[in-house]
Amino acid sequence: MPNQGKHVVFRWIAAGVLAASFVGVPGAEQRPIPASPSADAPYRALVNTYCLSCHNNRTKAGGLELDAINTQDLGEHWEAWEKVVRKLRARQMPPPGARRPEDADRTAALASLEASLDGLSARTPNPGRTDTFRRLNRTEYQNAIRDLLALEFDAASVLPSDSASYGFDNVTVGNLSPTLLESYVSAAEKISRLAVGGPSLSPGGATVRLRPDITQEKHVEGLPVGTRGGALVPHTFPLDGEYEITIRLARDRNENIEGLTEAHQLDLLLDGERLRLFTVEPASVKEDEPAKYQPSHDNLDGHLKIRVPVTAGPHTVGVTFAQKPSLLIETARQPYEAHFNYYRHPRITPAVYEISIVGPYNAAGVGDTPSRRRLFTCKPSRKQDEDACAKRILSTLTRRAYRRPVTDEDLQKPLELYHAAKTSDGFEAGIEMGLAAVLSSPEFLFRIERDPASLASGASYRISDLELASRLSFFVWSSIPDDQLLDAAARGDLDKPAVLEREVRRMLADPRSRNLVTNFASQWLHLRNLDTITPDMRVFPDFDDNLRQAFREETELLVDSVIRENRSVLDLLRANYTFLNERLAKHYGVPNIYGSRFRRVTFDGDATRGGLLRQGSILMVTSYPTRTSPVIRGKWILDNLLGVPPPPPPANVPALDNAKAAVKRLPIRERLAEHRANPACAGCHRLMDPIGFALENYDAVGRWRTLDANMPIDASSTLFDGTPVQGVAGLQAAILRNPELFVSTLTEKLLTFSTGRGVQYYDSPAIRKIVRESAADDYRFSSLVIGIVNSTPFRMRKAS
Amino acid sequence: MMISKKALPRRTFLRGMGATVALPLLDAMIPSMTALAQTPANPVRRLGFVYIPMGSDIARWTPAGEGGVLTELSSTLSPLAPVMKHVTVVSNMELKNAYPGTHATSNAAFLSAAKAKWTESSDYFLGTTVDQIAAKQMGQDTQLPSLELAMDLMEVVGQCDNGYACVYQNNLSWSSPTTPLPAEAHPRVVFERLFGEGGTSPQRRAALGRRASLLDWVRDDISRLQRQLGAADRSKVSQYLDTVREVERRIQMAEAQTLDSPLPDLDRPVGVPADYADHAKLMFDLQVLALQGDVTRVITFQLARETSNRTYAEIGVPDAHHPTSHHGGDPEKIAKIAKINQFHVSLFGYFLERLASVTDGDGTLLDHSVLMYGSGMGNPNVHDHVNLPIIVAGGGAGKIRGGRHIKYAEPTPLANLHLTLLDRVGVRLDSFADSTGKIDTLFSPVNLAG
Repeated sequence: MPNQGKHVVFRWIAAGVLAASFVGVPGAEQRPIPASPSADAPYRALVNTYCLSCHNNRTKAGGLELDAINTQDLGEHWEAWEKVVRKLRARQMPPPGARRPEDADRTAALASLEASLDGLSARTPNPGRTDTFRRLNRTEYQNAIRDLLALEFDAASVLPSDSASYGFDNVTVGNLSPTLLESYVSAAEKISRLAVGGPSLSPGGATVRLRPDITQEKHVEGLPVGTRGGALVPHTFPLDGEYEITIRLARDRNENIEGLTEAHQLDLLLDGERLRLFTVEPASVKEDEPAKYQPSHDNLDGHLKIRVPVTAGPHTVGVTFAQKPSLLIETARQPYEAHFNYYRHPRITPAVYEISIVGPYNAAGVGDTPSRRRLFTCKPSRKQDEDACAKRILSTLTRRAYRRPVTDEDLQKPLELYHAAKTSDGFEAGIEMGLAAVLSSPEFLFRIERDPASLASGASYRISDLELASRLSFFVWSSIPDDQLLDAAARGDLDKPAVLEREVRRMLADPRSRNLVTNFASQWLHLRNLDTITPDMRVFPDFDDNLRQAFREETELLVDSVIRENRSVLDLLRANYTFLNERLAKHYGVPNIYGSRFRRVTFDGDATRGGLLRQGSILMVTSYPTRTSPVIRGKWILDNLLGVPPPPPPANVPALDNAKAAVKRLPIRERLAEHRANPACAGCHRLMDPIGFALENYDAVGRWRTLDANMPIDASSTLFDGTPVQGVAGLQAAILRNPELFVSTLTEKLLTFSTGRGVQYYDSPAIRKIVRESAADDYRFSSLVIGIVNSTPFRMRKAS
Repeated sequence: MMISKKALPRRTFLRGMGATVALPLLDAMIPSMTALAQTPANPVRRLGFVYIPMGSDIARWTPAGEGGVLTELSSTLSPLAPVMKHVTVVSNMELKNAYPGTHATSNAAFLSAAKAKWTESSDYFLGTTVDQIAAKQMGQDTQLPSLELAMDLMEVVGQCDNGYACVYQNNLSWSSPTTPLPAEAHPRVVFERLFGEGGTSPQRRAALGRRASLLDWVRDDISRLQRQLGAADRSKVSQYLDTVREVERRIQMAEAQTLDSPLPDLDRPVGVPADYADHAKLMFDLQVLALQGDVTRVITFQLARETSNRTYAEIGVPDAHHPTSHHGGDPEKIAKIAKINQFHVSLFGYFLERLASVTDGDGTLLDHSVLMYGSGMGNPNVHDHVNLPIIVAGGGAGKIRGGRHIKYAEPTPLANLHLTLLDRVGVRLDSFADSTGKIDTLFSPVNLAG
């Protein structure tokens, strides 16, 4: 109920702001815009009055000479004008201290400037040019294999990671080094063999290692109730046959099995069914030897090994300990939750370190796997039917792999390779080779967008329906289109707005859209950095990997809820709910949450938990290992939520005198006073630091605190536009007061991700349009996605 | 049915593992073979480092006499007798930067000679290790610039020793002061990194043939695209065609290589041998193969870990290594430490003999390698870092004068040896860490051998 109340209030504010912001815009689009500068345009007057004292041809502040620009044609300085819009909209300019326009004047000027720029774009649209060749990156490749062959393949085991540009790893993907090509061809061979059930490999396998800083004292989600620790390992078994599964327990630095003080039972499960219940126990103590001369632990877990028949295909291997009825850790002593290091916080009970699955031995056949069912759409019973069947199999496969209808020419060479392999090794070996050929083809590995023939250089054109289908599926699913989408594109139906929208909504509802969380949002919000961050263990002794993964899960579930429930994207910030399990709830001090499963928890009133600004993941990726960083937090919000990244620091900046400040045990706020005192620093730090100060109630691992260095936290501050704020609630309210800033930033990020190129100034009119239209729908997530899908940069392309 | 058709006779090339059925694939090897093929006439220098933890009983380690030509090995070093002429014992080396004396700093300083920053968190800081400096020079042409190996399948984070982060104790090799390189101990994982799935020579050739036909198709397909695209995009396509041609060239090289293959049949090891010596020998076998196939030229290997509580019942030491090393002057415990030292040396001797058995150019692999063996701790009872047990082995491509004992009167920085080794592999530095000069007597003053 409180949520609803908030909603209503918010809508009212948003509507008010929007009405003010966009006044005149719809009209402006219809009104003819004069091509030459009109001196009486409100923005020209505002620039003349408030900007020229710094941005003139002598001072050239920020490299911007607005005195000259303001007298010239708008179109000649489109890029500069978009910068002006950005700074004005974020109220970063004019800076505090300088003379500033009244809000009404500022809004009117912005409206006229944006309308002029939008008009300019309408007359001369520039959709930008995505690269002609864009290689499937590792995530896309893995998803494509899954969707094409019903095969879970760990692409990370064969392909290198992709480096990011503009914040996303699907932008600079035009390169193909020899080593990379070898990796793709090698992957094609491996995948084909696994999918077909190709003839015996030497027993190969997987070795899964658990992160050493995982605490294994509690239940792991997905494993049976009454167990603790261990892991659930999904594994595709290549053939029917026998497999050897070996388990090794975690050691301390002395090579002793840590936490092994009494006997424990270890369960080995296949698809949830027990394969074997092992017992591990400490070595028997020799009476006549002092304790430290007891035998090593070499063989105490040597017997954790089993050879069992397993059928081909995907299975899960579970390894976990039986929970003992009562443990010391459940006493009232409130010990740390983290147990993984002998010195700092020893394991109380033994833990699993490694699970190896090796096989097959005595392979018994290809079995009946999801991949084979997907692949073998026909099974030739007679020799003479083989080639027809092969053609059918390969053409079905190629259509989806190439994301377009196939021609006989497409199939010619793969069929030749099929023939050659079939002649020496039989029908299935032929299919395997043909499949490897399709998976090695540049038409599978690259998304290729071709300029239509005989188009003038630099002309804008609408991409084909098939290209659109690929853009759509790689945007929403990070994968290839499915048959339904391909069929619609092949029929030419995607041109129809209703069909297109229906497809987008269908795709968003499909589980594959989870990639918008795990791939898009995890890059946008820097969740990918979580694994690289380890807080200082002296300062934060209770941090372990369980907490790190819980942080990630919380944020992913919040983003997922906004997408699945088609909520307003503003809920990402203002949600009065979040997702917690016992580990995270304990860390946050939220009572009465038990067990490993995450569940939605709703808060009344203003709580310390909820939206993104209150989540451990964000608060930790923006901190140092030993302390918070208001600077990094401020920069993160400017970059990722407000879309006004501060310029990079100048060269030769002296470091803060950390040692001196640390000796004095000053709160970070005092230590950063220099940032505001020194004019060389203040220019940018006045943008960043005050935002971060408002979050000082959260420590470097996201816990709520009221003291820092034994001094009360002061979470009040004044933002760059002069807004006074108090704590996280104040900061959040300030951000939500101009929701279009946040929504524009998210739209920019989505557009970058969906087009695979950096957003440029000429994309701004399209972004404004998307945001404007989505405002009418309370900025629901689907309205942003549909807006992007209908936008010029997404639907069109500029010829070379 | 299909399976039995392809099943192969079992072989047991690698020691210590179960028999396996192997199929080809050499993807991992191709670049390396290219490099070898490009430089057939040059005897390749290889560099290896083997670490033993917790120092030695230096009395039983050091050969008798005042240095010079090695006539008789000490009891601890006696397993090296068959390769004595390839061995130089260097006595009285010290690691000043390993103080204050700990296990963590012994391991960390061994190849860096640097002082480890005292921290148990991720802000650790050491120095670039000698193997990595060498790898930047020697490792460019090989598939793996360097290979890091260990014996213990154990990862620990946080504090390990007196407030030092576990990375210092876990990692011998650091590619920068903040980048420890994790070592691998699982023979199968090492093998796959080196050779993919392995296989016999004909199988590897057949796999290369299949891959060549796939590449052939890729080239055709790209050419087809080229005809469909505009001028601007065609240059990109030409780049891709160059890439395809380069991969094809590598495959041809590799095919040629398998015809007179320097490598034996490659059987993928499956598990970890239960017996320590078997596991160690398997790891040494893999190193021999890696050097032989020129997959890498720089290897570090932690034969055991500092503070290891491993027991060595097989040589009559059923006591845990670490507590025994705090012998408190007890002659019985000191004798046990010497036994462990000798056992480790015997495993190293196995490695040297294997290297000496493989023909390489105009000599053997051992002739063309330089290997350093030893510990960053001197007397384990007091955790000091003087009188380190140090051996240099191998022919250094005819440059090393083996069969000698270099005995310094005064403690001499181990970094002098690092500097000398770097010099021999072509990395000329004025100094390394706390070095004070080079060990001129290690190498022949006049190069008669070539």
